[in-house]
Amino acid sequence: MASVTTLAAVGEVGKGFIHERTSETLPCQATDKLFCWDWAGEHINRYETPTLQHLELVAISVLIGFVIAFALALLAHRHQWLQPPLLAGTGVLYTIPSVAFFFLLLPLTGRGMDTAIIALSAYTLQIIFRNTMIGFANVPRAVVDAARGMGQTDRQVLWRVELPLAMPEIFAGLQVATVSTVAIATLAAFAGGGGLGEPILKGGISFKTNLIIAGGIAFLIAVILGLILFAVQRFLTPWRRVRQA
Amino acid sequence: MPSDELTEKSSAGASPVRYAGATKRYPGSAKAAVEDLTLEVPAGEICVLVGPSGCGKTTAMRMVNRMVEISEGDILIGDRSVRDRSPAQLRREIGYVIQQVGLFPHRTIAENIVAVPQLLGWKKERAAARGAELLALIGLDPDLADRYPAQLSGGQQQRVGVARALAADPLVMLMDEPFGAIDPINRERLQNEFLRLQAEIGKTVLFVTHDIDEAIKMGDRIAIMREGGRVAQYATPAEILMDPADEFVEDFVGADRALKRLALMRVADIDLWKAPLAQAGQATAEVRADLEDAEIPYPLLVDGERRPLGWLSERDLAGEKVPARPDSPLGPLLDRDDIMRDALADLLQGEAQYAAVVDHEGRIDGVLSVEIISEFLASPKAKTEEHSAVERPRG
Repeated sequence: MASVTTLAAVGEVGKGFIHERTSETLPCQATDKLFCWDWAGEHINRYETPTLQHLELVAISVLIGFVIAFALALLAHRHQWLQPPLLAGTGVLYTIPSVAFFFLLLPLTGRGMDTAIIALSAYTLQIIFRNTMIGFANVPRAVVDAARGMGQTDRQVLWRVELPLAMPEIFAGLQVATVSTVAIATLAAFAGGGGLGEPILKGGISFKTNLIIAGGIAFLIAVILGLILFAVQRFLTPWRRVRQA
Repeated sequence: MPSDELTEKSSAGASPVRYAGATKRYPGSAKAAVEDLTLEVPAGEICVLVGPSGCGKTTAMRMVNRMVEISEGDILIGDRSVRDRSPAQLRREIGYVIQQVGLFPHRTIAENIVAVPQLLGWKKERAAARGAELLALIGLDPDLADRYPAQLSGGQQQRVGVARALAADPLVMLMDEPFGAIDPINRERLQNEFLRLQAEIGKTVLFVTHDIDEAIKMGDRIAIMREGGRVAQYATPAEILMDPADEFVEDFVGADRALKRLALMRVADIDLWKAPLAQAGQATAEVRADLEDAEIPYPLLVDGERRPLGWLSERDLAGEKVPARPDSPLGPLLDRDDIMRDALADLLQGEAQYAAVVDHEGRIDGVLSVEIISEFLASPKAKTEEHSAVERPRG
């Protein structure tokens, strides 16, 4: 305030001058500048905990989602009639608006990370389940026929032939599920689940520097996790990299 | 020597296959896919199941390894019913080759080949040695062992498919149109390779095809099947061509069955013409005298070892001595052991009337002409006598 008064006293010297002085003296975060580098440098620490929480949310949710969806896919692969109801069921979960999902769960599971994880896991089911089924469906029939014909048991056919060959589709599903979970996890803050949504909620939507840092970290997490999964998939499927004869 | 051990085992490892009233009924279908099939395939022979699509030949074959379960009746391998062990155990004793090959795309060629030994729990070194042996047996470059199937051509893939089926030295081989998806040139090559291989390993083979020519070529015996898996005729290729059991077989074999019989004959099986021979430096008058009562109006120039060099023309005989270089090239040259059908193809392709036939040392044995073949096909003997030389009617 003091500085403003002093500046006002300068009076008629020139508007442009006053303006320049104002912007130099006011802290950046009080203006509507797009990004405040100084503030960011000083406060970057406060994003550490939300980032780790965010990673935790994503990792646990995708892992739980994967275990459930994969188990369901194995079941539906064995009993084909289960496919339509399971696709429909996971599809319904997928269509619930995420914020609504968090609030619906609150009375049941209370505020906190658990609630967030339940909702986030539920969202991954459809993608992982569907992709795993597509992976199984894409295994060439002749290869399965040959495997059975040479004396592999159903279990051996599944683990030695069908799963390895379905890997690309399964990983594609994991990738999409992971990236979208990184995005949706920013809403976990509504359920008190922490994560990068928390600084966004607290800092308000008008302070752009905060929005950009939190959003930027989430973006980076998504990109990095996506790349890691892609690399793992390539490593696990060396036969897909060979040149065709 | 591990390879000796394996060869010994291979020669002992063939069992007869007996269908004993085997029937396959699919639920909800009034007619049986295969009805009361009784058939015996002797050990070490190739039995081709052939017939129009939907005749049940593939079903009949797949009943042996229980890829299709038997509804009634039984199938015996040796003295053992296929039903007295689990399907997985049974299948590990039976080689299985299918049209689409079905190699594991995620496994290398070497890994593919030893898939069954691996299932049987062979030690790593033993499996690896067997893999290398089989690669050599099918004539595949050892460098390909670490490639993936996608890096091989279709023909190479099916060679690997055959090697994979042979890996654990099965009692019986089931081959479901194994060469059906391969281009004609490579198909012929693979057929020949398999016949050569079979001469060595002597497996009992059930071979399914819809191609009667392939059946005639591959089969020691052919079972011609009609709808419902009923056998219209079960006999050697020669018997089927010469003496079709009924109209169905006759139609299926085709009107050109006389022509097809050429596939069963070798050049040596027919009476060849004697060519008037001439050597460089010989007096032409002498050669002309020989021509008088020869069946061929041209003398054949041969070297000191009686190896044919070419045909002499009128112009060549104009001088006093036979020249060293013939006027006309030799044209197609046949071996006594060539298949007659191929020999005819060579004649036609070379647009030649005559082809010199030589023995294993390359010495002249006689001359084959299109005329000999057409007279053979027209002669009544062709319908009654098989694999015997046929007298050329004079006239």
